Amino acid sequence: MNTDKILEALSNALGDGILQTRTLRPEKVCVQVKVGAHRDAVKVLLNQDGNAGISAITGVDLGKTIELMYHIRTCNTIITISVNLTKENAKIESIADLIPGANFHEREVSDLFGVTFEGHPNPGRLILPEDWPENVFPLRKDFVALNFQSKMENSEALKDNGRHSIDERLVNIVFGPQHPALIEPEKFTLKVDGEVVKEVKPRIGYVHRGIEKAAENRTYLQDIYLVERICGICNACHAACFCQTVEAIMGVDVPPRARYLRTIILELNRIHSHMLLLGHAGFEIGYETLFHYMWRDRERVLDITEELTGNRIVASFITIGGVRRDLKEDVISRINAELETLKGRMNFYRQLFEGDSTLKMRTKNVGILSRQDALRLCVVGPVARGSGVDMDVRRDEPYAAYNEVPFKVITYDEGDSWARLMVRLDEIVESINIIQYALEHLPSGPYRVRVPRIVPAGEAIGRVEAPRGELFYYVKSNGTASPERVKVRTPTFANILAFVKIAEGGNIADVPASFVSLDPCFSCTDR
Amino acid sequence: MSLDLAFLLRVLIFPGLTFILFLTMFCDWVERKIEARMQNRMGPTYTGPAGVFQPFADFIKLLTKEDIVPFNVRDFVFRLAPILSFSIFAFAFVFLPIDGVSVVSNSNFEGDLVLVLTLVSIANFFLFLSGWSSINPYSATGAARVLTQFLGYDIPLFILALAPAFLAKSLSISKIAASQFIPFAFVVPWVFVLFIITLQAELEKDPFDIPHAETEIVGGYETEYTGRRLAFLKLSKDVQIVLGAAIAVELFLGGPHGPVFYGPSAFWCTLWFVLKLLVVIVLTEYLTCVFARLRIDQALVINWKLILPLSLLSLVAAVGVGLWLYPLR
Repeated sequence: MNTDKILEALSNALGDGILQTRTLRPEKVCVQVKVGAHRDAVKVLLNQDGNAGISAITGVDLGKTIELMYHIRTCNTIITISVNLTKENAKIESIADLIPGANFHEREVSDLFGVTFEGHPNPGRLILPEDWPENVFPLRKDFVALNFQSKMENSEALKDNGRHSIDERLVNIVFGPQHPALIEPEKFTLKVDGEVVKEVKPRIGYVHRGIEKAAENRTYLQDIYLVERICGICNACHAACFCQTVEAIMGVDVPPRARYLRTIILELNRIHSHMLLLGHAGFEIGYETLFHYMWRDRERVLDITEELTGNRIVASFITIGGVRRDLKEDVISRINAELETLKGRMNFYRQLFEGDSTLKMRTKNVGILSRQDALRLCVVGPVARGSGVDMDVRRDEPYAAYNEVPFKVITYDEGDSWARLMVRLDEIVESINIIQYALEHLPSGPYRVRVPRIVPAGEAIGRVEAPRGELFYYVKSNGTASPERVKVRTPTFANILAFVKIAEGGNIADVPASFVSLDPCFSCTDR
Repeated sequence: MSLDLAFLLRVLIFPGLTFILFLTMFCDWVERKIEARMQNRMGPTYTGPAGVFQPFADFIKLLTKEDIVPFNVRDFVFRLAPILSFSIFAFAFVFLPIDGVSVVSNSNFEGDLVLVLTLVSIANFFLFLSGWSSINPYSATGAARVLTQFLGYDIPLFILALAPAFLAKSLSISKIAASQFIPFAFVVPWVFVLFIITLQAELEKDPFDIPHAETEIVGGYETEYTGRRLAFLKLSKDVQIVLGAAIAVELFLGGPHGPVFYGPSAFWCTLWFVLKLLVVIVLTEYLTCVFARLRIDQALVINWKLILPLSLLSLVAAVGVGLWLYPLR
């Protein structure tokens, strides 16, 4: 098996740098190494596979020490390198030079756990406000809630955004936190020379709600509803990912009917999210007709979701051990009819995206992200597939019923905004096919199993292909009714770095167009 | 000096200021309704029958809003720009024959076509000033885009306007309109098509609504405006659209002239004028709906490399048609 080979390579390279090896459920290896050996370990893992990248860095407060876990995505699985740092001396060498995609992950851990990454290219606050007190780290267990009110007018960040920068030729255009092109609050400071963007500085964290911390104080059942609210659009993906991670710790087998129903709601989520994005892309490039058409057709998906789950947006459908509602037989034909109509509409949109000249002028050869950059920055989902990186969790590591449903992974090699939009357009058709197959082959039997409220001690990681890309969960249980640690890495968090890359050197008019083609979701990113 | 009542009525009521204001509001409603129907939505619905009073409601609402002049703006220009741009656009209507003769009798003269086109350029320059005087990067970018775009597209607009002038052997708008037994849009359709495209750029409509691309630069030059100044900026944009369409009607569709059936000819002329105006507006609105917004560099490339040479060529072709119609003696 792959994993054995990788472990062998690791032990050859590190020798006695490896302290111990344990298993994160389901069947994921976690290798604990000495501080300092982690860079070599990461290097070995990245060399195993051309498509390798970093999925997330999880910090866990173990009392006296902080455990850092580098979840490396390689050979269709996740290998975790873990390092224990003492709280007094929480310093570690950065790996951002080995894999630039680790940049934001390290800054996040540094904000929330107070780990210093030495040699990081641009350290600084990412999530917490600039004037957050020193030495207060929200995700450590000894954190006490404080009455903090940000007085941002004193902060360096605000001064930095003065309208005119020191270099007189460059004008700072602040893109956010409130801006018509951005529905959610985040800020990009663009240094602009005429109409050309010279530099982009991203800043997130405006709507950080501390969901990871909140999850530690709630029961597993309550956490399902909590994680569903991380993102309104891909809510079912969050629920599915959390539930399957917890199910892995408990060792629960989900009945086949529930697995199929989960597949259906996950694909409905994908169609709805992609259509929303395609319409929004039309709006961003000034094509309002496309926006209105797309969003009207999206209503059909919401109607289907309502038939299936009883809710239009936040489905609250998936639960630990299965799903919460069964699908009635008479609904199936109605859903099928709607899907057929939708398929016809998709043909029309495909013609439009391939044929319309102004649309192509604005998206073709705009915001090019090369395959190499996509891999270096560890982007996920349609962004990666638009750059020719063949990666899809549904195929690489099947969950729900994806191992039984046939489907194609769509990739485009152009790497421009157009390719990223086309990936989504084709994926909608593919999703419709998946749903129709699943409805046809829906197994009979129970749709959920009852599970105990107490989860045995253990840890697991779960991955789901959300509409925006790989969604990553790490859950650690301490044997009580609420989890010890829930780590969520949302797809957009992995994709922001790509925006900085594609915006720099481009035209300011291309900023919204290329930005929207990444399908950013900042309430996800901020959690 | 004696002001006679007929003069005042013509300037202030019909076909002067009041009529033009109402026409502008009506055309604004038509535009919004048609765009909405093309985009599969409702458009204005509640204010008046089928929402026809929505533009009035919007205008009055803006007038009642708080009027803020931001700190640090070029105060004088900032206050002046909306008023001047609106008045110049409205003034240009004086030279257009709406009910058969121009608003003030004898106001039309040989060469008023050039004057009207120049007034449009000047009014556009005030739109630029409105953005330039607000100290705001979005406004500054929007203003720069206004200037870049209009300077480019004014040239083909002038060139294309010369074609009907040549065919009518006059530079007077009323004479051009009166001389069209067959509308020039059918005599030289290629000029008409190019004129409409150039008009889209002049009126900041898709695919050329670059100066106020809200997803890039928020409100463009009008970002800092509020209250009644914003109302007047918006109104001057609407008047500009009607003016642009009216120029197209006068030059290419025979202006107010059409069959007169029963009753006063002024009624029929106005009716034909408004109907033709609506045709042009529906046409521009259709173009708006089927195109995405271009980038400013693409718009310029299209202007200098495509529209300008094509408009020169089409002018030459129109001259050829003119020579064929009226051979030199």
